[in-house]
Amino acid sequence: MKKSKKTMLALASLVVAMSSATAQTFTGAFDVGPSGNPQKFNPLTAPAGFGFYNKYFSTLTLYDVGLQKISGDLAESWSYSSDAKTLVIKLRKGVKWHDGAPLTARDAKFTLELVKHPDSASVFAARLEAVSSIKASDDQTLVLTLSSPDVSLPDALTVIMILPQHLLGQIAPKDLRNADWWKSPVGSGPFKWTRYVPDQYVELSANTDFYRGKPKLARLINRYFKDGSSAALALQAGEIQHSPLTLDQVRENEKTKSYQVVSGSSHVLNYIGLNNDDPRFKDLRVRQAIMLALDRPAIVKNLYAGTATLASCALTLPRFVPTQLEPYASDLGKARQLLADARWPQLSQGEPIEMLTYYGDQVSKDVMAAMQSMLAQVGVKVSPRFVDGATYAQLVDSGKFAMVFAGQGNGPDPSVYNNMIGSAYAPPKGLNRMRINNPEIDKLLEAGKAEVNEAKRIQTYQQLCRVTNEQLPFIPLWVANRFGGFGKNVQDVLWTPAPGGGRYQDYPENWSMR
Amino acid sequence: MLKYLLSRVAANVPTLLAILIAVFFLISMAPGDPVDAFVPPTATLSAQQKEALRHELGLDRPLPVRFAHWLGQLAQGELGYRYKDGDKVSAAIARRLVPTFMLALAGLTLGSLLGVLAGVLAARRANGHIDHALSLAAYLAVSCPAFLVGILALYVFSLKLGWFPVGGYSTPGQEGWKDLVYHLVLPASALSIQFIAILMRYSRAGVLEAMNQDFIRTARAKGLSDNRVVLRHAFPNALIPIVTVIGSNFAALLGGAVFIETVFSWPGMGTLFLDGIESRDYPLIMGITLFMALTILAVNTLTDLLYCWIDPRIALR
Repeated sequence: MKKSKKTMLALASLVVAMSSATAQTFTGAFDVGPSGNPQKFNPLTAPAGFGFYNKYFSTLTLYDVGLQKISGDLAESWSYSSDAKTLVIKLRKGVKWHDGAPLTARDAKFTLELVKHPDSASVFAARLEAVSSIKASDDQTLVLTLSSPDVSLPDALTVIMILPQHLLGQIAPKDLRNADWWKSPVGSGPFKWTRYVPDQYVELSANTDFYRGKPKLARLINRYFKDGSSAALALQAGEIQHSPLTLDQVRENEKTKSYQVVSGSSHVLNYIGLNNDDPRFKDLRVRQAIMLALDRPAIVKNLYAGTATLASCALTLPRFVPTQLEPYASDLGKARQLLADARWPQLSQGEPIEMLTYYGDQVSKDVMAAMQSMLAQVGVKVSPRFVDGATYAQLVDSGKFAMVFAGQGNGPDPSVYNNMIGSAYAPPKGLNRMRINNPEIDKLLEAGKAEVNEAKRIQTYQQLCRVTNEQLPFIPLWVANRFGGFGKNVQDVLWTPAPGGGRYQDYPENWSMR
Repeated sequence: MLKYLLSRVAANVPTLLAILIAVFFLISMAPGDPVDAFVPPTATLSAQQKEALRHELGLDRPLPVRFAHWLGQLAQGELGYRYKDGDKVSAAIARRLVPTFMLALAGLTLGSLLGVLAGVLAARRANGHIDHALSLAAYLAVSCPAFLVGILALYVFSLKLGWFPVGGYSTPGQEGWKDLVYHLVLPASALSIQFIAILMRYSRAGVLEAMNQDFIRTARAKGLSDNRVVLRHAFPNALIPIVTVIGSNFAALLGGAVFIETVFSWPGMGTLFLDGIESRDYPLIMGITLFMALTILAVNTLTDLLYCWIDPRIALR
């Protein structure tokens, strides 16, 4: 009897231990959807996937979860010189790499130089274009000297994962690009890399030496799903604790209440892009007519179920949007008149215009169909064409296009627009794929990048918003929400659908499960 | 036999080469550049960086030169490196071999057994209720695309009934053969559904046709039981079309696996192939094409050899 009682006790404690081990493991489909970058582990060449890199690497700076304010991650503080040509960054003391080595300003210098090195093929090189020299004046102080003023650097630093010089310094940047090291990296974030099972998952374990304190979760697993709907099903079944969701999945969950849903602005502006070199779109009246032909509130209400916010200019964060913008409420009569004044029938010769997109989801397909029918009502014939990202880039970069339906991350810092609408950045140099060439826009973009005074900077970008609202170099549409699902037993999670994921302080060390 | 085998292998070489040339040139002509696929539409890589990458990957060379280079590598037993992450293509394929074959063979075995069984049963009860019910089920199953069957299976058996996991290959931290079988049952069953339906129809027709032959009448006249007549006399004679169907549908099974693997997050060759196409990873696409073509050619040859074994009247020359 005594023996069986002991056995029962042992079994019970085993069950408790097992359930507590399971409860301490958070499994998420972190790399599903547009914010993910599955099985690509080199963060220097990664335009997305920051949400998971941030769990085991650290950056110098990070946004808050509202993507409004930048604060330090490894950086304790930073300051610009009055001419905005020198940036001094003070690093936290006592931060260690996962192998126990101290993390110093030399690691930050090494990383930023690596980003700038052409052989590293880093997608962030352009963001550090103004940085002419990088100096680690002591263990905690990093000094960046700039060839031209650029106050957007703290924003750029939110996506650059700091790497250990003592482990990577001897590897040539070209060899580092695809090195095996990325599959067993040493970071400095709240979780340590434990193992990678190719094509299935990556497992991280708590970094007990993390500078903000030991994480509450014992393990964090990033499970790979080829298909987003499978990930959502796994979340619904309780197999995983997190997955990005589509609007349809959110609606389905409203009935079943299987998990918690967090929604937020995608910070991606959807727009109709027009090839500014195309003679059909050079007349402002044509661009205005396209804008007026669209009943954007109806599309937002019916196709996005009200989960998108209308945009009237290039910028959408409230502080950069001035009052009294032209709202372009749908007005078919006025649109027809403008097109007649611009001699549209002669300009277009009745030929349909191909509207290219890389979006393949159902909502976007419905939106394309709705816009096609709205534009047809005023005599602008368009035919939608759906292609994949690579085809889109090739067609648009080579200028073989007239019209696109696309999205662009429009922040959090507006300086990202320099590369997207500045006349100096038409392909192949940059991402001004619509070939926008407007001296006033160029001037405002440069002024915004160089302005140290925050209030003046806001005014500059508000003016940029006004100009893009009046001149319509592209047709701004809306910013849609994106959604993330979390298991019912998950608590203290901070999440927002930032472009490319991550880049904000989500305090994963506080995440826990009931 | 050996002579036949050698001649078949020799005849397969030009076929293989033609497949490789067609795929290489078609994928190279498709719009989209691996370097563009390297970064999504909203990210930045300077023109210089792109050019350097193109040169490094050999994309700035003429197509025939690139193909010759690929063949040269192949002759040395190398399949090159993935554009996406620099992994060896052979290693990426090797890693997926076990999951791919496990799923395909499980689907094939399940499909063949159940398909033939249902076919024989339907033939035995020709024009009866069971036959009609099975024929209707087969009709529905043939009309259902693999991905739809997969999604329905996930919804019913994983989400609603909770009998199986929602996809994946293993439970992190609990890997083992039991866990593997637990993950394999649903995708293999979903993959086999169409196969069962097709085989059922062919088996039924084959057995019914054999049942009208003179030797069956003789067998019956000798007083053999119905079961014995069907299993010992009719069924072996219906095997040739059944083996043909199994062989020729193997390619369809591998193709169907692309969708099933996607729905079930199964780390097999199908999802790897999709990944290669999305990222215009030419070496990977070529490596998988080679593997798939070799597998299908081998299965076709094996099917021919089986004919001879099943029916000794067929001579291999």
